[in-house]
Amino acid sequence: MLEWMVWTLPTALVFIGLAVLLVVMAVWARISPPVARRGFLRIETDRGDRLYIGLISAAVVLAGWMAVTDLSMWLALGCAVLVVVVIGIWG
Amino acid sequence: MTAGTQVSGEVVTAAPAEPAEPHETRADLKRKDNRAWWLVLPVVVSVAFTAIIPLMTVVNFSVQDVFSPTERVFVGLDWFYEAVRRPENREAFVRTLLFSAQVLLVEIPLGVAIAVAMPRRGFWVSVALVLVALPLLIPWNVVGTIWQIFARADIGLGGWTVNNVLGIGFNYTLDSTDAWITILVMDVWHWTPLVALLAYAGLRSIPEPYFQAAQIDGASGWATFRHIQLPRLRGVLTIAILLRFMDSFMIYTEPFVVTGGGPGNATSFLSILLSKIAVGQFDVGPAGAFSLIYFLIVQVLCYVFFTVLTRSGR
Amino acid sequence: MARTTGRRLPWARTVFWLYVATLMLPVLWMFGMSIRPNEDILSSFSLIPQRVTFDNYVTFFTDVSWYSSYLNSIIYTSLNAVMSLIVALPAAYAFSRFRFAGDKHLFFWLLTNRMAPPAVFLLPFFQIYQSVGLFDTHLGVAIAHMLFNVPLAVWILEGFMSGIPREIDETAAIDGYSLPRFFIRIFLPMIRSAIGVTLFFCFMFSWVELLIARTITSVNAKPIAATMTRTVSAAGVDWALLATAGVLTIVPGAIVIWFVRNYIAKGFALGRV
Repeated sequence: MLEWMVWTLPTALVFIGLAVLLVVMAVWARISPPVARRGFLRIETDRGDRLYIGLISAAVVLAGWMAVTDLSMWLALGCAVLVVVVIGIWG
Repeated sequence: MTAGTQVSGEVVTAAPAEPAEPHETRADLKRKDNRAWWLVLPVVVSVAFTAIIPLMTVVNFSVQDVFSPTERVFVGLDWFYEAVRRPENREAFVRTLLFSAQVLLVEIPLGVAIAVAMPRRGFWVSVALVLVALPLLIPWNVVGTIWQIFARADIGLGGWTVNNVLGIGFNYTLDSTDAWITILVMDVWHWTPLVALLAYAGLRSIPEPYFQAAQIDGASGWATFRHIQLPRLRGVLTIAILLRFMDSFMIYTEPFVVTGGGPGNATSFLSILLSKIAVGQFDVGPAGAFSLIYFLIVQVLCYVFFTVLTRSGR
Repeated sequence: MARTTGRRLPWARTVFWLYVATLMLPVLWMFGMSIRPNEDILSSFSLIPQRVTFDNYVTFFTDVSWYSSYLNSIIYTSLNAVMSLIVALPAAYAFSRFRFAGDKHLFFWLLTNRMAPPAVFLLPFFQIYQSVGLFDTHLGVAIAHMLFNVPLAVWILEGFMSGIPREIDETAAIDGYSLPRFFIRIFLPMIRSAIGVTLFFCFMFSWVELLIARTITSVNAKPIAATMTRTVSAAGVDWALLATAGVLTIVPGAIVIWFVRNYIAKGFALGRV
C-alpha cells in the first residue's frame, strides 16, 4: 500500500529526524515552557519559532549553495547547521 | 487578532477615546489547556492526508530516478542541482516574480480607489457588491476562456477594438509583449475585485466620528483619505497583499488556457513549467525537486508576510 | 449637513459604475457568443448578434457528458464545503479560545498549505487517490480540495469567533452547559453569518479550481471545467458551445453570491475587520 511512496533510507532518516525533533520540542516545552524574547532578528520569538526560522534559513542556504557553487555539499551542510545554531541561540 | 485591538492611538484626536485594550491582556484571557489538541485533531488528520503524505512523497521522488515503484535509482541531489541551475527554471522564476510585482503595483492602488468610490448605502450597495464580486466566482479556466475570446483580434471585442479602433496591431498568440499584457489585464480584471472588497470592508469598519472630526477640521478629500482611511486599511491591505502575492506567484490555469505559456516561453510561469514537467513528461524526480524549491520560496515569502501581518496588528 | 461615512468625490459614482461596466464587458461578450451559431461567430465580427439561437444551451442540457460533468462539479463542491466546515469548526474554536502547545506554529503551518502551489501536489495526489480507491470519485475531489479549503475555513472562522466575547462561554459553563452542548445550542447560532461566509468561500474556491480536480478524475467525477477542453477538436474550436458552458459555470456562483452578499466583504477580510 505504501509502495507508491517510493521510500529511500536517506529521506526516511530525514523525516524520522524531523519527527524526533518535534517530540523533543514538545517534551522540552512540558519540562520548561518556552519564553518569548527578542534577539538579533528583532522580532519576538520563542524557541519553536527560532527552530522554524532556523530550519527554513538552513534550507535556503542549501538551495542557494547549489545554485551558485560546485563546492562540496558537506560544507554547505556545515554552514546550514551553523545557521540553525546561531538563530536558535541568539535569534 | 481582530482589528479592534489596533484602534487606539491613531491620528484623529477628536474621535471618542476607545477603551485601551493591549494585546497581552486579550491573549491572557485565553485559557491554557492542552486538551484543545483534541479539537484540532480532525484538521490535523485531514491536512495530514491531503498535505503531509503527498509532500513526503514529493521529497522521496526528488532524490530518485523513478521508472516504476520497483524500478528506481537513487540519484542524490542531482535533480536539485538541475532545478536551481536550469536556465529555463531561473527565467521562469524571474518572470513569475516580475508578474507578481506588476500585479501588486496595479491591483492594490486600483482596488483601494474602487473601494473608496463604492456606494455605501441603499439598494445599490448590494448590486455593486454582487457585480464586483462576480469575476471571483468564475472558474479559473472560464476566466481564461473569457479572455481568450475577448482578446482575440478576429472575434473578441477587446482585441478587435485595439486593432481596428485604436489602430494598434495586437495579437496575443504571436507577440510576446501582447501575450504578457493580455495575461496582466486578465489578472487585474479577475482579482482587483478581491482587493476592492477587502478595502471596502476595511473602510466600512471606520467609525463615523472620525469623518465628522475630519470635516470639522476642514480636511480635504485627499487629507481625509491619507490620514484617516489609509492608516485604518493597513490590516486588510496586508491580507490583500499577502493573498494577491501568493496567488499570483502560483498562477496557472488562466495563462495556461489563454496562451499555454507561449508564444515561445513568454508567459510560462513557474506553475506552468512545473506542470509541464510533472504531468506532461511524467518526470517525477525533476518535478519533485522543482516542487520543493518552489515550495521553499513560497514558505519563506509566506513567513515574512505573515510576520509582518501579525506584527502590524500589535 | 453632515455627509457621513467618508466623503465621496462628486465624480466617484460615475467612475465606479464605469468600472463595473468594464468589468462586465468580457462576461457579456461571452454571453453574446453563447447565443449565436458557431458559424456566425467566425464568419463576421459584429457587436450585436444577428441571429439569436439557444441551440447551444439545448446541446448542453441534452448531451450527457456536458450536464453530468456540470452535476459532478456541483456535487463535489458542495460535499467539500460541508466537510471543510465540519472539520474546521472545532479547530477554529480551539484556536480562538485556548492556548495549547504549538498552537501558533500549527496555525501558521495550516496557512502555508493554503499558500502551497497546487502543482506541487499533483503527482502524489494521483497516486494516493488511486491506491486508496478514491480516484475518480466525488468524495476524492472533495477531500483533495480540503487541502486549501480547511486552512481557509479555520482562518475565517477563527477571526469571527475571536470577535465573540469569552464571557459567553464562561457564563454557559456556570449554567451547567457541557462544551458540545454549549457549542451546538448557543455558539453555532451566534456565528451563523460566519458559517455562511465560510461555506461560500469553500464553495467558491472548490468551484473555481481545475488543476487538482482534473488530475484525480477521469470519467465519473469529471469536472465541468475539464469537459470544456473537449470543445477543441480537429474541426477547430466550437466557440459557441465553449461560451455556453462558460456562462453556465457562472450561474451557481452568482446565485450563491446573492444570498451572502452582505457578508462577502467581511468574509474577504477573513473576519478580521
